[in-house]
Amino acid sequence: MTTFLRRNWISAIVIVALIVGWEVAGHLAPKSPLRESPIVPPWEFVFGRAIIGLSDYWKFPFWAPVPELGGEQTLLGAGLAVGYHSLLTLYRLVLGLLVGAVGGVALGLAVSRSPLARALLGPSLHLVRTCPLLAMTPLFQFWLGGTNLAAILFVAYGVGVIYLVGTINAVANVPVKFIESALTMGATKSMVYRAVVLPAILPELFSSIFLTLGLAWSAVIGAEYIGVDSGIGRMIIWSEYFSNTGRIAAITILIIVYAFASYAVCRRVQRRMLRWHPQADRSLAAI
Amino acid sequence: MIKVINASCLFRHTSGEEVRALDDVSLAIEVSEFVCLLGRSGHGKSTLLRSVAGLNPLTSGRIEVDGAVVRGPGVERGMVFQEDTVFPWMTVQKNIEFGLRAQNRAPHERKREAARWLEAVGLARFGESWPKELSGGMRKRVAIAAAFAGGAPILLMDEPFGALDYVTRRDLQSLLIDLWQRTRRTIVFVTHDVEEALVLAERVIVMRRGRVADDIPVPLARPRDEDERASRTGVEISKRILHHLALETPVAAPALT
Repeated sequence: MTTFLRRNWISAIVIVALIVGWEVAGHLAPKSPLRESPIVPPWEFVFGRAIIGLSDYWKFPFWAPVPELGGEQTLLGAGLAVGYHSLLTLYRLVLGLLVGAVGGVALGLAVSRSPLARALLGPSLHLVRTCPLLAMTPLFQFWLGGTNLAAILFVAYGVGVIYLVGTINAVANVPVKFIESALTMGATKSMVYRAVVLPAILPELFSSIFLTLGLAWSAVIGAEYIGVDSGIGRMIIWSEYFSNTGRIAAITILIIVYAFASYAVCRRVQRRMLRWHPQADRSLAAI
Repeated sequence: MIKVINASCLFRHTSGEEVRALDDVSLAIEVSEFVCLLGRSGHGKSTLLRSVAGLNPLTSGRIEVDGAVVRGPGVERGMVFQEDTVFPWMTVQKNIEFGLRAQNRAPHERKREAARWLEAVGLARFGESWPKELSGGMRKRVAIAAAFAGGAPILLMDEPFGALDYVTRRDLQSLLIDLWQRTRRTIVFVTHDVEEALVLAERVIVMRRGRVADDIPVPLARPRDEDERASRTGVEISKRILHHLALETPVAAPALT
């Protein structure tokens, strides 16, 4: 930690300045007429009133009082609400990412491998790519309702397109020498794909993974804004109903923490899976 | 035994010009021979080798290996490329096992074979290393071990030592000769280096403009050190080769003013 500070003291100062600046803005901003809706909620408000207020979103009549039914606002209730909705959101995010990644990569390999698949999917792919993701949210909701499945498929669709395009590009970049070498050693076409093409595209696929992580967070929160009636995205909408600015800030910070954690996990996985890569140490240090 | 029968191969350049990379080539290579295909770049030696490997379809003619027509790559023909083809995502051991894995051999047998060939190329301690941890010369040893470990009785080598420094190249030439003498596999080795051909080959086939220009036996004693290559026979052979490589008619250089 101390060596980190010594090496990145400029960045550290910027972050501290941002935190302090927010606090100053919170106290300088005009007073809002509503007690729960400061225009810029200061930190002590975000981590005090706002956090406890999140217990409003605990709606099960056990473990903690339910404010909706006249119960008291408690920290326990807030924790339970955050935990419950976080789990739902993470479940949709992870499943959506998995389905999208597996589907996109599989389709990308198919397109690279067979001229028929290429002819079928090639032109429509460009159309789908340019289609704005968030504009599709209501459509998914219309088709599948405000269900988990709708959110998962929405995330899967959003990230799947990126995996598809990423895979096609990566396969095109696999050096022919590796494929020819594998063929002269007696590899079948399917073994070439399994043992040569897949590992060879892995470094490029990881850039798709990092790209889609951010997108997946946007997509899942977007799906919860518009359709699905639970999850941390929906908590923001509930907060917005009563202009609970502090709660919105608190949940946003929570999402940032989750996003950071998911990047960290992916970076660990990348480091492990690409330890063979000639530039592994260099490129990973840069991230 | 490899038989090349009236093999021709035409390429069309993007300029529309047609290039006859192989022009009605016929030749036969016996089992256990060490043959060098020698010629200047662009004169068809690599095209011929890749055709034998099954990586390059012929325009006309055919190639037979032990009587069967070549229609694609096959396990009886291994290949070592000029480029670094060692898979960077596999350990050295796994690289050498690759051919055996393609043939669905049992894991314990693959391990045993890989260990044997690692030992043979002097990399016994490096089985668990990643290719990125090895030097270019060592990776070439891995490629050679992988080709031998696959069990192919015919090994095709496309200027495998072209990108290496002089000393490393000499080391690997000795290694290759040693392996050839111990295994008696058929080796077809493409090179543009007359000295390399004299060190390695039992027979040199000189390619020129897509045709076989000459077919020269090399009856020098081994090891083919400097003295042996400087013997009367050695000098005569190298003169004969150089004669084929030289320009047909000296072109008068236009005056530069």
